[in-house]
Amino acid sequence: MQSFHYPHLPSEYATVHVALYTNVTNSAEIRGRIVRAAQLEGPDGETEREAVNFAFLDARLICSPLHLQTAVYQAILAQVQGSIRTKTVHSEILWALNPTNNITEAIRRYGVADTTTALIVVRICSPELNDVEKRMSAVVSGTLSSLDALVDITDWASVKKYCKLNGEPALKAVAKDPAKERLLVEEIVTSSVAMKSVMA
Amino acid sequence: MTGQTKSPSLKLLDTAEKVSQGAEAKIYRVQLHPTPVCSSSAAAESGEVAEKVLLKYRFRKQYRHPSLDASLTKSRVAGEARALIRCLRSGVNVPGIRMVDAPEGILGIEWIDGKSVRFLLGGGAEGEEEIVEDATDEPEEGDLPPEEDQLQEYGISQDALMGMIGTEIAKMHQADIIHGDLTTSNMMLRHPSSRKGLQLVLIDFGLAYTSTLVEDKAVDLYVLERAFSSTHPQSEPLFAGVLKAYETRMGKDWAAISRRLDDVRLRGRKRSMVG
Repeated sequence: MQSFHYPHLPSEYATVHVALYTNVTNSAEIRGRIVRAAQLEGPDGETEREAVNFAFLDARLICSPLHLQTAVYQAILAQVQGSIRTKTVHSEILWALNPTNNITEAIRRYGVADTTTALIVVRICSPELNDVEKRMSAVVSGTLSSLDALVDITDWASVKKYCKLNGEPALKAVAKDPAKERLLVEEIVTSSVAMKSVMA
Repeated sequence: MTGQTKSPSLKLLDTAEKVSQGAEAKIYRVQLHPTPVCSSSAAAESGEVAEKVLLKYRFRKQYRHPSLDASLTKSRVAGEARALIRCLRSGVNVPGIRMVDAPEGILGIEWIDGKSVRFLLGGGAEGEEEIVEDATDEPEEGDLPPEEDQLQEYGISQDALMGMIGTEIAKMHQADIIHGDLTTSNMMLRHPSSRKGLQLVLIDFGLAYTSTLVEDKAVDLYVLERAFSSTHPQSEPLFAGVLKAYETRMGKDWAAISRRLDDVRLRGRKRSMVG
């Protein structure tokens, strides 16, 4: 797990914990828990919601750590400024990643699906919360991996499809050089996430 | 935004290093995402060195009504971000976008490791006051050693550099994007040692807009021609090199633009004398 501390953000959002899990075996269960937690009422609901109070992202659609950080940062900015479009700062990360304004689509594409095997878990919280990794591992059954492993997980074809990059002139120019193409796709996708709040 | 405390983006600016200032905006350099702290259980995580980001802060203008100021600032930040993403999708080399805080007037873009074309051609860095010039609001750094040896570090000739400029502008015009302020200070040569390698990068899209008109493209070139002649001595062969590469890249669209560029040279960039 990696942790980032942003001293200029209000303390309740100042720390971001990110973990990549590979060989995840219980994604259907996780998805079920998130759905149920949202419906439970009373103190049980509170406890369960706190237990799954993370953003669960399909790691195949994340190009790079910077791509992820950009989405997280824009989600926190929206939360602090009160311009959040979804219910929580964690779901806002999913919204920031998806190129359209459709929240359901964002969750379906970028969130955890029953077949997900590589999962990125994000928690935005105050610096005082210090057992985050334990809480994450209590929910996810899988191998905790370094974010560096992301390079072998990213599914570039899906990234290009969702961000409607196929047929763009920029990609035609580098079609013969996969390394350059990835660099360019990563740049376009990251930039799109960063400017989503002012998208035309 | 909470009224009583300073917004996060302004606090971020407090920690940033100020690079330059124009009439419209201030430019800062900062590390946006902090270096991660890794927990023990995961394998040693190396990660790249955190990227630096350039922040362009369109500060409050006291001479404007606050509500007008807010809406102008917001739409300009949005406009610049949209122009950049259009360029990226069209394959024009421009800085990537890293964060947008439109209400505060802040645009965060990728920091380009390199030098401005103006500097590399021996036009001096901006802010050196030996040449009378218009203020622009993009960064410029460095000073001293003149010309030739500057380019050697980048491993290209002056002619090759002119070719890169022409090609990049042509790519932009083919996507119907008009830069609006083409000067040699608004072009940077990315250092060959950076991750993306040697590239000519166009910067400062604060005045950019979309247009399919031949007139607008010709004026864009004319503005650059004037910038060349006012900042660089013996600029005619240089600018001819730019146009040659532009012509090659534009193909059949060149004829119309060339004809219009000749017209514009005779009358200046304003079509009518009104306004």
